[in-house]
Amino acid sequence: MLAIVLSAVAGGIAYFMPAAQLALDSTGQVIRVPTPSPTQLLISPSPTGAPSAAPVAGAFTVLLLGSDDDSKFVSDHVLTQSMILVRVVPSTRQVTMLSIPRDLWVPLSTGGSGKIDGAYSYGGAGAAIATVSRDFGVHIDDYIWIGLLGLVKLIDAIGGIDVVTSHPVMDDYYPADIYGGWPYDYERVAVLAGPQHLDGVHAMQYVRSRHGDLQSDFGRSQRQQEVLTAIRVKAKELSPEDLPALSKALGGELKTNIGISQVAQMLPLAASLDDPNAIHQVFLLPPYTHGGAPDGSLVAEWSLILPLVHQYFP
Amino acid sequence: MISIPVIQASRVVLAVVLAGLMVLSGSATYIVLSSRTSKIAKAPEKPTAATPAPQALTLPGTMYLSQEGAIYSLSGGKFHELTVEAGWMQPALAPDGNIIAVKRDAFSSDVYVISPSGSALRQVTNNAAPARLKYDTGQNHWSFYPRVSADGRTLWMSYDDPKFGYDVVLSIWAMPYAGSLNQGRLWTNAADYTGGDVQPVPVAGGGIIYTKYDFGPDNRLVGRLWFTNRAYSFGKALTSPDEDCRNPAVSPDGTQVAMVCTYEKQVSYLTIATWNGSTLGARRNIVTSQLVAQPTWAPDGSGIAYLAPNASSNGDFQLWWLPKAFYAPPPVPVPTPTPGGPHNGPLPASTPPPAPVVKPIEVTTNNGFDATSPLAWGS
Repeated sequence: MLAIVLSAVAGGIAYFMPAAQLALDSTGQVIRVPTPSPTQLLISPSPTGAPSAAPVAGAFTVLLLGSDDDSKFVSDHVLTQSMILVRVVPSTRQVTMLSIPRDLWVPLSTGGSGKIDGAYSYGGAGAAIATVSRDFGVHIDDYIWIGLLGLVKLIDAIGGIDVVTSHPVMDDYYPADIYGGWPYDYERVAVLAGPQHLDGVHAMQYVRSRHGDLQSDFGRSQRQQEVLTAIRVKAKELSPEDLPALSKALGGELKTNIGISQVAQMLPLAASLDDPNAIHQVFLLPPYTHGGAPDGSLVAEWSLILPLVHQYFP
Repeated sequence: MISIPVIQASRVVLAVVLAGLMVLSGSATYIVLSSRTSKIAKAPEKPTAATPAPQALTLPGTMYLSQEGAIYSLSGGKFHELTVEAGWMQPALAPDGNIIAVKRDAFSSDVYVISPSGSALRQVTNNAAPARLKYDTGQNHWSFYPRVSADGRTLWMSYDDPKFGYDVVLSIWAMPYAGSLNQGRLWTNAADYTGGDVQPVPVAGGGIIYTKYDFGPDNRLVGRLWFTNRAYSFGKALTSPDEDCRNPAVSPDGTQVAMVCTYEKQVSYLTIATWNGSTLGARRNIVTSQLVAQPTWAPDGSGIAYLAPNASSNGDFQLWWLPKAFYAPPPVPVPTPTPGGPHNGPLPASTPPPAPVVKPIEVTTNNGFDATSPLAWGS
């Protein structure tokens, strides 16, 4: 009898093995933080003196990173076009999302200065975390990186998401680099406004398009936060049957230092964050940032940014 | 007495049987787990394969909806497929009994007139780029949200012209219903890099209510309802930026407007307000627990239909019906004359009857209608 039960368990293990393997491969990544040069330390903006939010027990901060990782880019040396700091306070069920403009010109943890989206390409997740942590004076507990195709497949694997798209997104020259043969092709995009059910491709079009947005990356950041919120809402409905499809969708497209046991603890918490009024969105619009930095990038007005950031991120 | 060879043979048989059971058990577990389908990724049914709730029988007239690029009608509690799945969306009724709708392709969309039975009668716009200019995606155009005026003379739509390079916005255009877009007239001045002006709704007395997207005081893009009765005029804003409203629908008697308002959050409330022909009255949020899209008044004024996900439909948008009793103001109590003759003093206040408890009715449960397509509803 025991042998038969054990063999049944073995069948179950065989079924969930790919998902478990992927979970083990994707999670618990070791973060290697580069050591900055002395010069780097001198030019980093100092967070001291800025008012800080009082530490809250159980609160944690995650850096979300999203990258175009199509064939135009070398694997593991991709830019992070999307960088969002998320702080969760479980006791009050409050979430704060701070979108960091990809074109922000900052001191990099790997040395020198550059656009903040380059930190990951120079030194991986550790460099991205160290750059954000030092420049913004924020303690980051964890990171999650996801590739472009991974986000599309993730949304499809969870059956699409419901989003209230804030405005029509019209783009006559949207990059057709995901499924086309030539990664420099263009296509037309028209994502209409209002509440709707989006599949992965259309959700990606909504968050990625920037040609039709006067605010360019700022507008895009706002849309990214809307989609993130919708994914979180949908994730509450996940069940064990969904794990194999999810693992297939995310194969190689997701990395995080968060361990599996931690993920299991976070899922019920994510499910409880369902008050739209408890989700605070922060964007670094002018006067916090403005043009005029090298390569068309943005100047960071640290004297304004740091007090704002430290209201929400101790 | 049992011989040793017999015992050994029995053991071999037992071992083989046990091994078989183990293989069977392991395989069966794997197969059973594999056969379990994810509820979260379950595809919606075609409306014609579904059985609408009994309340669908009570819906007046004929309603037209879009799902997966096909247009369906709903009448007498049954769905009928009018077009094949080929990018059809946004049906609207014309006074001549025909339906106008959008057919969307990958790079462009066009307005068509189709018969009540679903056959295409006329292609109104021709928005695909000419073959010699196919290399430039910007040579294509979009037409969305067609509507015909009550007198049947004017066809309104959102059309992405003018546009300049990356600045692609939809503007409201008006053209003769029986004519071509060459005879059309640009009606609104869409704000640059906003998505533009959409959802024109012709109103009695001329003019349109429409949704304009523009930057609010907080630099975020929001929707506002506007009214204009003059070509290329800004017209008059009907809602404020912080309300973030869209999807206007005028009641059959022309005295109320239904809309959805989001207050710049990931919510979508069904809101109604009185309409006097130029301004909106106080707002009433009558459904706040659902992600409401495309509110549409019943042609006989008996209620409002809309699209919204349900708790078990995997986020796909279903058809809902809100009887008038849900949102109509309670009746004003009529004082009862005191028996025994004329009465000049104040009458005793009568107690109004308790308001009926009416909840939105879910007409479909697993259909996944296109929430960006307005519903068309005729008597």
